[in-house]
Amino acid sequence: MPNQSGSVYGLTILSPILDDPHAKVSHDLQIRMYLGGLKDERSPFAKVSSTHMARLAVLNDVVYVGMPACEEHLRSQYLVFESNFDGSLDEYLEKMAVEIPEDVDAVWGHCVGYPGTKSIGAFQAYMKKCQITTTFYFADVNDKTVNQTLRALQTQEAVGVFIENNQGKPAEELRQAFAAFLEALRAAPGPIPGSGLNSLGRLAAGMEGITRHE
Amino acid sequence: MSKLNETDIQGFVLRGYNLPVARYLFLEVVPHENVRLFIDKLLPTITTGEQWDNGRKPDSTVNIAFTHKGLKLMRLPEESLLSFPVEFLEGMKARGPILCDTGRNGPENWEEIWREERVHIWVAVNASTEEELESCCARIQQRIDATGGSRVIGEQDAAALKIDGQITPKEHFGYTDGFGNPDYRGFERDSQPGQGKLMPDGTWAQLATGELLLGYADEAGELPVAPVPHLLANNGTFMVYRKLHQNVATFRRYLEEKARLYPGGKEHLASKFVGRWRDGTPAELSPDQMDPSVVKDKSRNVNFTFGKDPKGTSCPIGAHLRRVNPRDAFGFNGQLINRRRVTRRGLPYGPYAPEDQPVRDDEQRGIAFMALNASLARQFEFIQQQWIEYGNDSHQGNDKEVLLGNHGDLEGRSKFMIQGTEDPKNPPFLCGGLPNFVELRGGDYFFVPSMTALKMMSTGTVDPR
Repeated sequence: MPNQSGSVYGLTILSPILDDPHAKVSHDLQIRMYLGGLKDERSPFAKVSSTHMARLAVLNDVVYVGMPACEEHLRSQYLVFESNFDGSLDEYLEKMAVEIPEDVDAVWGHCVGYPGTKSIGAFQAYMKKCQITTTFYFADVNDKTVNQTLRALQTQEAVGVFIENNQGKPAEELRQAFAAFLEALRAAPGPIPGSGLNSLGRLAAGMEGITRHE
Repeated sequence: MSKLNETDIQGFVLRGYNLPVARYLFLEVVPHENVRLFIDKLLPTITTGEQWDNGRKPDSTVNIAFTHKGLKLMRLPEESLLSFPVEFLEGMKARGPILCDTGRNGPENWEEIWREERVHIWVAVNASTEEELESCCARIQQRIDATGGSRVIGEQDAAALKIDGQITPKEHFGYTDGFGNPDYRGFERDSQPGQGKLMPDGTWAQLATGELLLGYADEAGELPVAPVPHLLANNGTFMVYRKLHQNVATFRRYLEEKARLYPGGKEHLASKFVGRWRDGTPAELSPDQMDPSVVKDKSRNVNFTFGKDPKGTSCPIGAHLRRVNPRDAFGFNGQLINRRRVTRRGLPYGPYAPEDQPVRDDEQRGIAFMALNASLARQFEFIQQQWIEYGNDSHQGNDKEVLLGNHGDLEGRSKFMIQGTEDPKNPPFLCGGLPNFVELRGGDYFFVPSMTALKMMSTGTVDPR
C-alpha cells in the first residue's frame, strides 16, 4: 500500500483554499501569515507525538515557465499537508483534533468545506476526502517509530560517552562499569518527542545521569 | 572534446608546479585608473599552462586572481559584476555560517587584512629557490611601484618542509601530503588510476572539464554559472584561499595521549585519522603497516576504493580522506561525488619541527590552502559544510571531520569513531574530546581569469552586451 512504508504512514492532503472576492485579506495570505508566525516557536506537531515530520505549504498555482510549455492553471489554490507518522490514519487524525485543535482550525478554517475539529468523525471524513496517495517518503523514514528512533539516538550518544570514559580499563572493571551503565540507561526516561536539540545539536532531554563526562 | 588552449589558462589552474617555495602577495586596490596598467604590465610575466617539455620548466612562476571587491575596483561593468555566482559576490567571510567558520574559526580570530576584507588581488609567486623568489617578487614590486593603483598589504610565505636538508611533501602533523588531484578531460598530463571518476567497470575516467574550468560542460552536462560576457569567464575558474593554522602541540599531545590506550600504537592511530599512514601508505591498501612500495607506485598510491570496506575496519568511515573524497563509499559506483571534487593547491608555512623538538600552538605553522573549482557553492562549500563540518552523508551523525572540523563549537564533546575488528591490534576505538587541530586565520574567494580575460580587464574592454 503506497500510503504505508513499513510501520510508517505517509499522509498527503490537498485542501482547496477558499476563494472569497470580498475578503479583506485573501484566505491563502491568512494561512501564510499564520504559518509564518509559528516559525520561532515549537511546532504544534510536537504535541502530536507520533509525527516524524510534518509540513504545511500553500500551493498558489502551477508555474508557467514559458514556451514551449503550455499555460495551465489549477482550479483552486491548495493547502498542502504532508506528514509521516506512526500508527493508523484514524488515530493520527483524532490526535490532531484533540491535541492541537486551535492550530488545525486556524489553518484549515480557510479551506473549502472544512467542518472544524469539534466533531472528530466529521474532521476525519473531511481530511480523508482531501487525501491523495503518497508514494515518496521523508528520506529518514526507516521503519522505526519516533520513540524507537529517539531512544536509539539517546543510546548512541550515551554509549559514545561510556566508551570514552572506560576504554582501556581491565576487563573486570569494564564489565562492572558496563553493568552499571546499562542499568542507568534502562532506567533513564526516554527523550521527549519534539523537545528538540540543545545548543550542541544533541538531544535536549533524557540524557542526565547517563552521559556524564568524567 | 578538443584540446584545451593551455596558453590561455593560468598555469596554476592546470598543474601543481612542484616548486618548493612560494609567496602569496595580497594587494589592495587604490581606486585609480592605474591598477589596469599594473595588470597590463604584469601580463607578460604570468605563467600559463603552456607545456614545459625538454627542461623548459621556469625558475619562477606568477599567477593572479581577484576578489569580487577587486573586480569592482578594476571597474568591470556593473552587468558583469552582478552576473557572478552569489557566493563569490558575497565573499568567504559572509559565508561563515554556512562554512562553520565560527567561534575559534570566526572572522574575529582572522588576520586583519582578511577580517577587514581588504584583499582585492592575490598574486602568487612559486620558485625553485629563495633567491629566485626574492628576485621575482622584486620585479613585481617594481611594476606595482611604477604603475601605482595598488599596494601590497600583506604577504604569506610558504615552502615545502625541509627535513634533514631534503625537500619533502610533508605537512606539519607529519603526514605526506599532496596525493591525487582530480583529472579532467582535455588536460594533457600523466593521469593516475584513482584520479578522476570511477566507472562502473572499476576503471577511472577523466572528470568533465566544466568541473574546473568555466565555459565547458560539467558532469551534469550543464555550463557552470559564470559571469558575462563569455570571454570574461571562459578558461577561468574560482579559487578559495584559506590560511589554515595547525595547532601542532595540541595534535602531538592528543595523539600521544590516545595512543597510550590504543593497542595498535601511535603510528597506527595516526593512520586511522587520515586514512593514510604518515609516510603516505593508503590504509585501505595496507591497513596493518606502512608500505613504501605502495607510496612510490603511481599505479597504486591513489588507486583504491572503499566498497569492500563498508564497515571501515581498514580505513575508518570518518577518516579524513574518506570524508573529503568518498570515492564509492556512498554507493552508486561513486557517481554521487563526481560533482563535489576540487583541485587542491598550496604549501605549508612555518618551520618544520622534528617530532622530538618542543612546539607551541601559537608558533606560526600551517598550510596556505587553495582549492580550485568551477562552482564554489557546489564543490568547495558543499565539502566544507556537509562532509567536514557535518557527518550525515558518511553515516557519522553530527561528528565532524577529525582533523579539519571546528570541534571547538561542540565544547569538548566532538568525537571520532574508529571501526575495528576482533584483532587485538585493530580494535574499535573512540577518540573523544576532540580539540581544534586546525584553525582558520582568514582567506577569501577569488576569480582566476584566463589570459584573454586579463587582457580585457587591463584594457577596460569587458563588454557584457
